[in-house]
Amino acid sequence: MSSTGRKITLKSSDGETFEVDEAVALESQTIKHMIEDDCADNGIPLPNVTSKILSKVIEYCKKHVEAPKSDDRDRATSVDDELKAWDADFVKVDNSTLFDLILAANYLKIKSLLDLTCQTVADMFKGKTPNEIRKTVHIKNDFTPDEEEKVRRENQWAFE
Amino acid sequence: MLSRRSLLSRTIRRKKNHTKRIKSNKNIKNVPKEQELPNQQQEDEDNEEGFNLKSSAPSHTHGVQPLGNLYLNPGSVNSRNTGLGNLQTLTDELVLEILGLLDATHLGVLACVSKSFYVFSNHEPLWRNLVLDGLNGRFLYNGSWKSTYIAACYPLIDVSRVLVSGLKVRDFYSDYLFQSWLCANLEMKPEWLERGNIVRKKGISVEEFVMNFEEPNKPVLLEGCLDNWPASKKWNRDYLLKLCDDVPFAVGPVEMKLEDYFRYSDQVREERPLYLFDPKFAEKVPVLGSEYEVPVYFREDLFSVLGKERPDYRWIIIGPAGSGSSFHIDPNSTSAWNAVIKGSKKWVLFPPDVVPPGVHPSPDGAEVACPVSIIEWFMNFYGATKNWKKGPIECICKAGEVIFVPNGWWHLVINLEDSIAITQNYVSRRNLLNVLDFLKKPNASELVSGTKDRINLHDKFKNAIEASFPGTIEELTLKAEEKQAQQKNVSFWDSVTDSKVGAFKFSF
Repeated sequence: MSSTGRKITLKSSDGETFEVDEAVALESQTIKHMIEDDCADNGIPLPNVTSKILSKVIEYCKKHVEAPKSDDRDRATSVDDELKAWDADFVKVDNSTLFDLILAANYLKIKSLLDLTCQTVADMFKGKTPNEIRKTVHIKNDFTPDEEEKVRRENQWAFE
Repeated sequence: MLSRRSLLSRTIRRKKNHTKRIKSNKNIKNVPKEQELPNQQQEDEDNEEGFNLKSSAPSHTHGVQPLGNLYLNPGSVNSRNTGLGNLQTLTDELVLEILGLLDATHLGVLACVSKSFYVFSNHEPLWRNLVLDGLNGRFLYNGSWKSTYIAACYPLIDVSRVLVSGLKVRDFYSDYLFQSWLCANLEMKPEWLERGNIVRKKGISVEEFVMNFEEPNKPVLLEGCLDNWPASKKWNRDYLLKLCDDVPFAVGPVEMKLEDYFRYSDQVREERPLYLFDPKFAEKVPVLGSEYEVPVYFREDLFSVLGKERPDYRWIIIGPAGSGSSFHIDPNSTSAWNAVIKGSKKWVLFPPDVVPPGVHPSPDGAEVACPVSIIEWFMNFYGATKNWKKGPIECICKAGEVIFVPNGWWHLVINLEDSIAITQNYVSRRNLLNVLDFLKKPNASELVSGTKDRINLHDKFKNAIEASFPGTIEELTLKAEEKQAQQKNVSFWDSVTDSKVGAFKFSF
């Protein structure tokens, strides 16, 4: 699909390089500004992103760039659904990867990826008791019994 | 009446008590005696007293401390991190962004998970959004946004339990959350209010105003213009409450009755208080429109040729101490006047070609990112401007005074006490060409504000002017071209004769 096919090289923090179509790279506002400011010639270093995460991010951007825009009303919903399903699968990763993706999306300024990953975390909290939430994100309860009771009373309305 | 805060008079009195208060309320051991806020900027020259806090805010509600304090306690653990678990690698803003996607019950449950989640879930801006998005202006402010929301949505709950609590959390360090609280509770420092270098005039003629200020596009503070306004004598809170009754006024994203707004503004303590700013006040309550008149200097009002289709042009502005507007340029390239009827406002203005520090306009002018709140701007950027050659114009505008804001000028305003004001934007022959140019811009449909019909505004306006004042546009254009030609010659001559010229336009 790609026309001019200009390639951009991205360098992860652990030294790996990734060549991507410019259109894919432009999904990131941060990279877009670097390209506009002419910093892209020797490849773009991304010291905040490991190769593991960068490859996931590129995978996401590729998929979203290729997704046809919904100008055709009839096709739109089924295409959207397909993309949504793909997105839902994409974020089925372990916690640590998920949070790294959030940080990467934030740093690279890829709004749709940031929205997707943040929503995924938010959804993790819904419908769970405090103890279940603790297990999900690996926290120990650090309230004293007194404090816990006080906090619980304060927020009793949320449990009813 | 509840006591109303004034940012003006309190600061000076507070100074003496300040350092004692900060020290006693922090549960910090091993802190050196003179330590105030370790992460304060070094450029802040007037460091001896640090900041002045509002009287009812002795320390962060939940005991949050700035990160710097953690570094003074080697071996101390930050309960922010341990309590977030896997989320600890995220920044505070990201954690809050995630929490911003949750509704009230989820936040309530989360608050019980750990001390860290407790602090985050109680972050007031989250609850403010829930109120503004969910309750549509029909809320009775109840001391905090959280308890306001709970009281409205869970009417059977005894809200005093939510209000009174406030668990103090130890060992929680976060610059973002601390800063957020600090900005909500800071008073204006006296040195931010000292400078008043605007030109003040009283009783000048319209010609003098046009020649010395409007034409050369310079700000001026005019005294004595409001003496004949019934509003000056009559407008106070009680009068307005009786007059306006249940009429809803525009407050940020919602509409509220005056009584509900005052209930909020009397209690609120936040970084960006909601501001009552209504462009239809005279339509909603015609008596209001009849009790003031446009000062004689500003009577030329060319947008009036558009009649009902003109963009929004007049606002009533009511707000507590601390409310205001951060740096912006008025839309549509109009000029403005702002008359204080009650209270007082601090103004900081920069000329059109000088971008204020900390402000980042996008190249096409469509967006102005002023990421910091007014108080934060004063904390972090104001001091730097003191040494600028082309520094800001500043003043405090008191009741009875009117400030003229020339078109294109950057300005920031903060109310120093409960204030009531009227402001209008206008187009006269002096800025007509600028306005037409602005409306002609390709992205005018985003930039033009205050009207539903953005795309055709330029043509409509131009045609209407031609109809009512034929030949004016052409005349003005010719004049402008002549002037430009003259100016080019002058500056060349200057550069040849004056060895000092050739300096930069910036003033860093």
